[in-house]
Amino acid sequence: MNPMNPDNVLRDLTRRHFFSRCSMGVGSLALASLMAGRGLGAAPAPQFGNPLQPKPTHFPAKAKNVIFLFMAGGPSQLDMFEHKPLLTQLNGKPIPESYTAGKRFAFMDSSHRSDLLGSRRSFQQYGQSGKWVSDLLPYTAGMVDDITLVTTCKTDLFNHAPAKLFMNAGSGVFGRPSMGAWVTYGLGSECDDLPGFVVLQSGPRGPRGGAVLWGSGILPTTYQGVPLRNQGDPIVNLSTPKSISQGQQRQLVDAVRDLNMKRLVETGDDEIHTRINAYEMAYRMQTSAPELMDIKEESQATLDLYGIKDPKETSFARNCLLARRLVERGVRFVQLYDTNWDHHGGPAENLEKHLPEKCRDIDQPCAALVRDLASRGLLKDTIVIWGGEFGRTPMGEVRESTGRNHHIDAFTMWFAGGGFKPGLTYGTTDEFGFGAVENPAHVHDIHATLLHQLGLDHKQLFVRSQGLDFRLTGVEEARVIRELLV
Amino acid sequence: MSFMKHPFSLILLAASLAQGVAQSVPAKIEFNRDVRPILSDNCYHCHGNDPSHRKAKLRLDVREAALEQEAFVPGKPEQSQLIERILTDDADELMPPPDSHKRLSAPQKEILKRWIAEGAEYQPHWAFVAPKPVGLPAALKSHPIDHFIQITLQNNGLTASPAAEPATLIRRVSLDLTGLPPSPAEVDAFVQASTADAESAYRAVVDRLLGSPHYGERWGRWWLDQARYADSNGYSIDAPRQIWKYRDWVIEAFNADLPFDQFTIEQLAGDLLPEATVDQKVATGFHRNTQINEEGGIDKEQFRIDSVFDRVATTGTVWLGLTIGCAQCHDHKFDPIAQQEYYRLFAFFNNQDEPELRVMDPVVDAGALTAELEDLEGRIKKYLEARADELSKWEAGLTPAAIKSLPPQVRKILAEPAEKRSLAQRRTLGAAAEGGAGRFEEMNGRYQEIDAQLNKSTTTLVMQERPQPRRTTVLIKGDFTRPAEEVTPGTPAVLHPIAKTTNPPNRLDLARWIMRPDNPLTARVMVNRVWQQYFGRGLVVTENDFGLTSTPPSHPELLDWLATTLVDRKWSLKEMHRVIVTSHTYRQSSSDRPELREKDPDNFLLARQQRLRLDAEIVRDVALTASGLLSRKLGGPPVYPPIPDGVLNQGQSKRTWKESQGEDKFRRGLYTFVYRASPPPSLSVFDAPEGFTTCTRRIRSNTPLQALTLMNDDGFFEFATALEKIIQKDGLETAFRRCTTRAPKPDELAVLEKLDTLNAARALLNLDETVTRE
Repeated sequence: MNPMNPDNVLRDLTRRHFFSRCSMGVGSLALASLMAGRGLGAAPAPQFGNPLQPKPTHFPAKAKNVIFLFMAGGPSQLDMFEHKPLLTQLNGKPIPESYTAGKRFAFMDSSHRSDLLGSRRSFQQYGQSGKWVSDLLPYTAGMVDDITLVTTCKTDLFNHAPAKLFMNAGSGVFGRPSMGAWVTYGLGSECDDLPGFVVLQSGPRGPRGGAVLWGSGILPTTYQGVPLRNQGDPIVNLSTPKSISQGQQRQLVDAVRDLNMKRLVETGDDEIHTRINAYEMAYRMQTSAPELMDIKEESQATLDLYGIKDPKETSFARNCLLARRLVERGVRFVQLYDTNWDHHGGPAENLEKHLPEKCRDIDQPCAALVRDLASRGLLKDTIVIWGGEFGRTPMGEVRESTGRNHHIDAFTMWFAGGGFKPGLTYGTTDEFGFGAVENPAHVHDIHATLLHQLGLDHKQLFVRSQGLDFRLTGVEEARVIRELLV
Repeated sequence: MSFMKHPFSLILLAASLAQGVAQSVPAKIEFNRDVRPILSDNCYHCHGNDPSHRKAKLRLDVREAALEQEAFVPGKPEQSQLIERILTDDADELMPPPDSHKRLSAPQKEILKRWIAEGAEYQPHWAFVAPKPVGLPAALKSHPIDHFIQITLQNNGLTASPAAEPATLIRRVSLDLTGLPPSPAEVDAFVQASTADAESAYRAVVDRLLGSPHYGERWGRWWLDQARYADSNGYSIDAPRQIWKYRDWVIEAFNADLPFDQFTIEQLAGDLLPEATVDQKVATGFHRNTQINEEGGIDKEQFRIDSVFDRVATTGTVWLGLTIGCAQCHDHKFDPIAQQEYYRLFAFFNNQDEPELRVMDPVVDAGALTAELEDLEGRIKKYLEARADELSKWEAGLTPAAIKSLPPQVRKILAEPAEKRSLAQRRTLGAAAEGGAGRFEEMNGRYQEIDAQLNKSTTTLVMQERPQPRRTTVLIKGDFTRPAEEVTPGTPAVLHPIAKTTNPPNRLDLARWIMRPDNPLTARVMVNRVWQQYFGRGLVVTENDFGLTSTPPSHPELLDWLATTLVDRKWSLKEMHRVIVTSHTYRQSSSDRPELREKDPDNFLLARQQRLRLDAEIVRDVALTASGLLSRKLGGPPVYPPIPDGVLNQGQSKRTWKESQGEDKFRRGLYTFVYRASPPPSLSVFDAPEGFTTCTRRIRSNTPLQALTLMNDDGFFEFATALEKIIQKDGLETAFRRCTTRAPKPDELAVLEKLDTLNAARALLNLDETVTRE
């Protein structure tokens, strides 16, 4: 956010005013004197009142926010980013056994195949960096010099739900905190009228795994992701019951506050102070969330940039625009899930028809988001991540039509903003794109790198549970991939 | 660590507070209290139990081994390498190494120095030594719990708080024992009786509550958290499952006060008991609350192994308070549990089939019905054979028009060749030929009736031992594709020995091993977890870890007194509840006081009770009770109260939610159907666990989404509408009392009177006090 922008200054002032009037203490002076009257000292320290208040970082941060564009199902890097002429040349030939010996794959006993499948897409080099991108992603091709491409991403698990969890929480075990929860736990939130961690969804269904993907696990639910929904209430139970007017709702919040204050003075329990603040924030969210979702105020040029045809219709494009609006408002972590990237070759999931459709849905909005953030001065503080839970095999899969199986040894993700080196391609894969020949990037290393950019040392960000220190990056050594960073 | 409040420094502080010592170096060093926490937090990771992580071949967790490597010279700190290395200025030499981000404080260094100077004596870890009976002063007049609490309060110059107001107390104990608030009539009666004889009035209330069937619901839910109970299969597909019979078994077991040892044995090995009853088999559902992955393309064995991992870890956490799961991939880093020992425990849980059990309604006499069915079948067969000729004549004589008039399923049977027809098909045909009347119809009708009754039964998931055991091996790094040496079932050497009835021992032997009186852990772990429910925190704060990295108990003697008392009282949990809730420590006021705020702001010493936000289900139960809508129906299939639109579609599968009608709409929260991947928001925002792994302590968060739920959720709004009617009929004061149990003060009433009645009802349901037990 540009601090000199008069709108922003005004906004900050209003917010600060609101904060001092409402959250920090609804009459914090009055409260202090009441508490003192009972010998309970001054009003409780602010950290009791707001568990999401911004916290200092471990070291100076390069970025403040994250937008994670999650392609749920596993996008085919070999048809989008990885240009492998030999693969095309050897199309239909079995992959040399040296590649697959000892490896396990999904669907091993049924539809898995060991014959190579060349990509039918045409690839071209773009930009000053000369990155290869296929014809499926013309808009992404236009911004290759602004993004950091990592072609050697590596994960541990090859089934959807466990792998999604692994990408989000660094473990395939259910009940661990997700990345967004860790980040809001570590940094707090700079937004006092929206949740610190927000999830948006597009595609025909929810991602496999569901709410655990944005869960807070062993951390308090304060830090869990809040889905913003495109239909009905943006947040569950956000709107006031139909028969209640806005004025009545305000009266309710005021009365609850007054009665809770009396109880606070009576009992000296700081939790009541936290609850008073929670009600104020809930009340503010009732206005700010619908305001956020209402993109009427956006210019036609902006809508066109993202390719939004109907501003009311749920789409990945609309979610990208909402992501920008969220980051603009200080939301720490925004995650977009777009589902149906699982192109095995079934009747509704093949590489010929359905992959191009998915790419059309996301290509323009992704590029628009990066461009829009940059033009508003938000990109330097925001890390944009693009990727899925894994990639797809160089070997084809034959079901009703052509597809590829789940692949975990090397797949592609890209990063933009937040101190990532623009134009860089990191990692080299073998001639089939099966595994890394150079510079593998394990999910834990990627997590460590992200936290590092946010000013957090992944080793020091932990909570203890069941005798163990739990970290996003797990127990084995993880590495900040400094080569990716400016 | 600057920005995070490290829970452990706080806990250590609490422990030292509890022992009446300042944070500085104590007069006499005691290994367990002073030294072990320093070593295990800072050194054992590289110099502990796990040889694969051990650096410089040095281990500090065993005295002989440390001496062999000349880590220290007892009595001579100045000649001890350990001291040299923690004091040095040379970053390359310094221990712990700077990149470990661990640093010893000056008092910690001083403690280690003094410990070596005093002879570097070790002590066995307290939790691995069985609790001994704790002596009480002969002339003790106070409650034993108060006696132990009083000692530490005195050492810190503090006094307990006065007893809570009767209205507060009856609400507290009712919520704690049954999860439901008292009715205004119960409150009045208690307040009245208290003026005459507070003690006997209170004891009568406790008796009544322990006898209430709602006790089983309240404490059953506590156990279901640990059992990771939910109503779906989890993972991505998350299909519904039927296992509520297990939930009902738990509730009934609590209500019957099934002794905890029997309760344990039936859940871990009920199927192996001689002549196991249906109930005992249902109890084995405990370990069927693991998730089942139904995603396409998976290796089923991988996920079967994952559920066994979960069973081992859960058994360790729930009953032993040990983080046994840590030894799945390598020897435990802190506790003396080798990886091989982990897989010996694994072997107990590797020999089961995982079937569904059909459970009849208890009023149905399945044996008699089955016999009657068999008899009927014989008679029907005979009848049909005797009339075979007539029947084929009837069939041959059917005109196309007559066939057309027959029901479709009969026409279908007629199309099949006569010799291929099943008995069921012949029955149907016979009935059609007779025109649906007469003796045959009577037999056939009864047959269908019994058949339906027998098939209507509920199923539940159970464990069943395989006749041929599976081979169990160590799995390298916990990877099921990398088997190493074979192991037999067995228990960790650091704990008491196992008695076998079979060779090798089976699950039943394991369950009995857990409940043996020389087990140092289980009784302590259980009383600690019960205590935690009453005070918000256990005497051992790390309620799921009593191993070497656990926090020392704040009141060790009290813990051991409670543990030995539980065993003395034949593992009766109801007796333990009675013991705890009749103490003054439990009954005192929870309000803060200036001197406590200064000396013990986190209330480790318990000079007051603790205000606790209610558990998710009870937030609902209290609102239902206050508004007069609560259905008190016990048990049965899970219910589907209203749920906000769209929340069931968060995961891969779209789920149906056929909203319950009638009283099922207003059942207690614990009966709400829970999909693991899309749990009901009104429960999950208040931190209800989702059943992915065992939950031994709920988090109590305090968030804006909770406020939105209480203010706007359709369910809570409906409760408010009902409470509004009560306000209109009986006045604000009654409604206030129904929510908080106490009478409002004039200034409180004044706030509510400014609102319209509906908003006043909403305000009452939103009060912090309403969702808190004080």
